[in-house]
Amino acid sequence: MMTSIALTPGMAALVLFGMFFTMLIVRVPVAFALGLACLPVLMFEPRLSPMALFNETFKAYNSFILLAVPLFLLTANLMSVGGITDRLVRLSRAMVGNFPGALAQINVLLSVFFAGISGSSTADAASQSKIFIEAQVKEGYGLSFSIAITAVSAVLAVIIPPSILMIVWGGVISTSIGAMYLAGIIPGLLIAAAQMVTVHVYAKIYNYPVYPRATLKEFFYSAWISVPALFTPFIIVGGILLGWFTATESAAVAVLYAAVLSIFFYREMGLKQLYGALAETGRLSAIALFCVGTASAFGWMLAYYQIPKALLANVTTWGMGITGVGFFIAFVFLVVGCFLDAIPAIIIVGTILQPLAESVHMHPIHFAIIGIVSLAFGLVTPPYGLCLMISCAVAKVPLKFALKDTMIMLIPMLLMLAAIIIFPDIPLILPRLLAPELLK
Amino acid sequence: MKKLIDSYFRLLTYLMVAAVALLIFPVTLQIISRYTALIPSYIWTEELSRFLFIWMVMLGSMIGVREGSHFEVDVWPTLKPRPTALLRIVSNVFVLIFAVVFLWWGMQFVRFGWNQDSELAELPMVYIFAAWPLAGATWMLFLGESFVANFRILLGGEPT
Repeated sequence: MMTSIALTPGMAALVLFGMFFTMLIVRVPVAFALGLACLPVLMFEPRLSPMALFNETFKAYNSFILLAVPLFLLTANLMSVGGITDRLVRLSRAMVGNFPGALAQINVLLSVFFAGISGSSTADAASQSKIFIEAQVKEGYGLSFSIAITAVSAVLAVIIPPSILMIVWGGVISTSIGAMYLAGIIPGLLIAAAQMVTVHVYAKIYNYPVYPRATLKEFFYSAWISVPALFTPFIIVGGILLGWFTATESAAVAVLYAAVLSIFFYREMGLKQLYGALAETGRLSAIALFCVGTASAFGWMLAYYQIPKALLANVTTWGMGITGVGFFIAFVFLVVGCFLDAIPAIIIVGTILQPLAESVHMHPIHFAIIGIVSLAFGLVTPPYGLCLMISCAVAKVPLKFALKDTMIMLIPMLLMLAAIIIFPDIPLILPRLLAPELLK
Repeated sequence: MKKLIDSYFRLLTYLMVAAVALLIFPVTLQIISRYTALIPSYIWTEELSRFLFIWMVMLGSMIGVREGSHFEVDVWPTLKPRPTALLRIVSNVFVLIFAVVFLWWGMQFVRFGWNQDSELAELPMVYIFAAWPLAGATWMLFLGESFVANFRILLGGEPT
């Protein structure tokens, strides 16, 4: 079998990665660069042909699991055009408006609420950049600070359930999605707390403005009108845990719920807004998912030449414990997250690292949460950090502009990641209490 | 010519929006049929939703090429219009190669699916596989448009 392969794993790896990075440098879009990198090898290797490209992309798109991606994006878009976001902003303001750096605290808290409804960080970054960046700058916050806090708080959407990344992870690495949802809650809240502390420190140093404390009446009223929206995560997570519907179906339920709220309850959505939400959803999810197809082809090529095995051969001999492996996995995902979107990264790298995690008896849910949190941070790390790119695009500045503040904000978040790695109980306690049968 | 491309582009957008909107129905049917006796549980709902999904992704990838919204990694400092145009031409040449591959081998892909029907709904697979060569051809069209615009900038004509 080995003798029939014309290229050695080393050669193939050199061609694949060499082509990929060269093309990234000349600004070929990532999705195309991944596909193009496969071509020379597919042409050269006698047993392969470019037809492999079609089989792999077709297999990737022909997946009921990935269907959750457009559905969750649509939920988020319907929430924004349907007036749900406005109510949540009002509630956030009543809760944290009297803290220093009020508007930025509202920004973070809204991301937490939003994360419980939407499973997509890119949708969160897109909608909140439009709401907050200009408003914050008007109130005297630094532009770079405003972009950075909007982008880093958007990553909460894939850590707090529901989460597109957890659904993809569950599909690719067969881990219980219900258990991952429960496991993501505490890490997500801890990271949000770290961000609020960061905002507090910034606000003290730069004297950012404060709003007057909301009356108790305002708090209760704003909570009351937000209840239907805040109920969404319970429907989604509860429905999955009780076995009412699958993860993909739960995304469809979320869409229907958001549509019903927007049309009948808040009554702010017309046909034009609906069309806009659908078009926006199609655009963003198709671009992200097209990349999943070519990434799958690229990952398939790596597996064909057994490159992952060669790369990991050394690591298993280092004799690391669970914590050591945890840090190693986080490091690999953080580095990969700089260059790849999270979904293709799970497909290519998650499957590579799984045997390593298994070899030290790391709990699969612990492994999943470390991977997903690290990849979520990758959404704001350059050169390829989608959330940061979206926020910068909305503010019409180059990515480099907000880099320094983003890196500063990442430090406390990384400390939380370290805590999650060292104390497996942080993610594992909720599923253990609420759904022990899912942990087996 | 520009008008023609514009209307083709609008058609693609409408089709993509329709695909997104229709996605909800088969998934919803699947849930309703499981819990109520209102409708029989159709076995093709999952397959239909997957096929709509494939078309949504491929149509979106075509739209993305014209809008220039496919994600790129940017390592360059801010460049002047002419170097930017030159870089764009270089990267478009690579994308063009990919488009040619999609069109050429995509036709073989379609031929391969000619006698195949889908497993559940027994749809001819040609209707699905056709998305690949169509994407290749559409990218070529949109790339051609972009080449013309960038060469104009490069040769110092009025920027359009």
